[in-house]
Amino acid sequence: MNTDFDVCVVGSGAGAGPVVLTLAQAGYSVVVLEKGPWFTDKDFYKDEIACCRRSTYTPSLRDERHVIEDLDDAGEWVGESTHASGWDWWNGNCVGGASNFMSGFFHRLKPDDFRLLSAYGPIEGANIADWPIGYDELEPFYDKVEKVVGVSGRVVPHPHLEPRSSKDFPYPPTREHVIAGWIDAACRDLGLHPFPVPRAILPHPAAGRRGCEYSGYCGSYGCASGAKGSSRAALIDAALRTGRCKVIPRAKVHRLVSDRSGRVVAAEYFDAAGDTRRVDALIYVVACQAIETARLLLYSTGPRHPHGLANGSGQVGRNLVFSAGGSGSGDFPYARFDKAKAEALKVRGPFVNRALQDWYVIDDPALGGRVKGGTIDFLFRHPNAIARANSQKWGEDGLVWGMPLKEKLEAYFTAARYLRFEVFCDWLPTDDCFVSLDPQVKDKWGTPVARIRIGYHPHDLKIGRYLAARAEKVLVRMGADNVHSSVSAWPPPNLVAGGCRFGKNPGTSVLDPDCRAHEVENLFVSDGSFMPTGGSVPYTWTIYANAFRVAERIVDQLGGPRKA
Amino acid sequence: MAVRRTDRPGERRCSESGFAAFVDAWRSALLSRRTFLAQAAAASAAALFPLSSRATAGAADSTSTAGQLGPAQWRTLAAVQAHLFPAAADSPGAADINALDYLRAVLAGPALDADEKAFIVNGVGWLEDIAREQTGAAFTALDAGQREVVLRRVEKSSAGETWLANILLYIFEALLCDPVYGGNPEGVGWKWLQHQPGFPRPPADKIYGRL
Repeated sequence: MNTDFDVCVVGSGAGAGPVVLTLAQAGYSVVVLEKGPWFTDKDFYKDEIACCRRSTYTPSLRDERHVIEDLDDAGEWVGESTHASGWDWWNGNCVGGASNFMSGFFHRLKPDDFRLLSAYGPIEGANIADWPIGYDELEPFYDKVEKVVGVSGRVVPHPHLEPRSSKDFPYPPTREHVIAGWIDAACRDLGLHPFPVPRAILPHPAAGRRGCEYSGYCGSYGCASGAKGSSRAALIDAALRTGRCKVIPRAKVHRLVSDRSGRVVAAEYFDAAGDTRRVDALIYVVACQAIETARLLLYSTGPRHPHGLANGSGQVGRNLVFSAGGSGSGDFPYARFDKAKAEALKVRGPFVNRALQDWYVIDDPALGGRVKGGTIDFLFRHPNAIARANSQKWGEDGLVWGMPLKEKLEAYFTAARYLRFEVFCDWLPTDDCFVSLDPQVKDKWGTPVARIRIGYHPHDLKIGRYLAARAEKVLVRMGADNVHSSVSAWPPPNLVAGGCRFGKNPGTSVLDPDCRAHEVENLFVSDGSFMPTGGSVPYTWTIYANAFRVAERIVDQLGGPRKA
Repeated sequence: MAVRRTDRPGERRCSESGFAAFVDAWRSALLSRRTFLAQAAAASAAALFPLSSRATAGAADSTSTAGQLGPAQWRTLAAVQAHLFPAAADSPGAADINALDYLRAVLAGPALDADEKAFIVNGVGWLEDIAREQTGAAFTALDAGQREVVLRRVEKSSAGETWLANILLYIFEALLCDPVYGGNPEGVGWKWLQHQPGFPRPPADKIYGRL
């Protein structure tokens, strides 16, 4: 068959990069269609206005928005567009996607996360399902991510350490802040097992990338050194060097065109000028992040796919999951310490890099016996100054201004350091958390936007609060003031997966165990959409690992590595 | 199954930057950002900014596009900023951080929608009305104590609170942005708050709007 490319990949983030690199290295031609612009390391600065106060790496909500559907006080599901609410759901639309802006807290799933139903049993109101593959099948690809993307860390035994094929990480940990030792001491006093958080950050130059320069601004910012293992820096740049990969930025794929046999025959996109264009390929891979992937499939109706591409089961968009949990913090006033310790506490740049997984499984009668728990990560409050100042303008009875505001700002900025923790636990899949096409709201190209119902399961809050209470005890043990936490059911839009479950049964899943659509033999989905349950860690490492696994299946389907 | 949320959304996890605009809107009487703007621009402005005769007079001038502020209105805005963020012996005030020019640039730039700009602009007129109705004098002619009384009255309506929260937000941007944006001259805000900026810092040709 004569096609423009062997493989067409829609999206360029964590779900796309491993496919792009693997296929290009195997001798196949790959085109990457990325909706956003193409920034390089040289375009990323530590600029809070560009990064975090304006839409620079994400679309303007005037042009592209979501509709978020939540329960109102009368118990009705009501949608509100993100343009109206100001709640931006974009996570990074540019070459490399949201992986450019991640913090790179990398945790593997545990073997139990692949069999949540068998290991812990059903929960009323939750659509829990086992995965069609086990941890053993993904482990070699977690290992590959450590080496190819670059994960730094140090293996420290703890009760829930997952099995590993490599003894230790290929890169030593990034530099650590003095407070990491204080966390370790407090945790050990409490009989806990703190361990260094693996990071997708190079501690020294390697693979044509520079090492971390410790500017102290990592999450939310693009990396200027290339140390952060974004899909762009670690994978797509390497794929481009093969000469077999072409990236087309500002190419908004709105529809995959399928023929009467049901196969995909073209990707149709709007180019930078707004003109409609098409490319064709032998195999199409969708990796637009869970919500936009579901939206694209739902909109791509065809003669054999009247309800959306690969949606004969009606499962596309269903069982969307986020990361449940929340966060908390404690204050460390400098006045509490001698001068040397206070100065050490003030240092910006090195990472905290500490986590606890002692409660990854909880066996507590208070929770009704053995249940799935989660992960606690420790980190400093983000240094973004405008966001921090803005958070100080609210007092007990409204706005604070004048000299009281200035005194509050000065104390907040100069008198203490703030250690936070984040709790990650399963966001149970339910019938009330899904993606559909909005019947009214369209994007600037006239395509219906994604409408997201954000219902949650109360069990998630119970687990989140259990973990937060234990994390608080660590901060108290460390001597922190003002220790508090907040566990809510608001979904974090940057921690999203599901919507195109993989499974063996075409009636209850969208993708087969290789992440090929049950109904479309030349369509794969390689982002986090495949996950039937999300586990209790951030998703990126698992998305990378699975995309490397899927890439090998695609190479197999094309007939193996092409001889030079 | 799902239950109505009662907590406010917290800091965004993992990316850590927070989403201040959303939380601001949330803080303000649980109305979302644009619901305010829609209401403030419509006939119900009277209810939201009840003491302003201009708002009470109807929607005509408040639904117009972001009009130009006259010199007197810019002076009013400067006086509001100076009251909200006064200079002190050891710390910069609104004028020291170029807060007015910074806000002028935001209103002239691409970041805000027309209705968001109109809300900020119209708020100046509403404030002037309230000052005259309460004191018989222009806001700029009032002493600090009278200004405080007027602004606290403004704050009592949800639109007024949102307007003031907006003015404060752009003061914070002017205080702590990279100086390349025109605020925080020579890092005066960073120095005062002992804030250590990240690196590399943005050159003038790689800032928001030019990337």
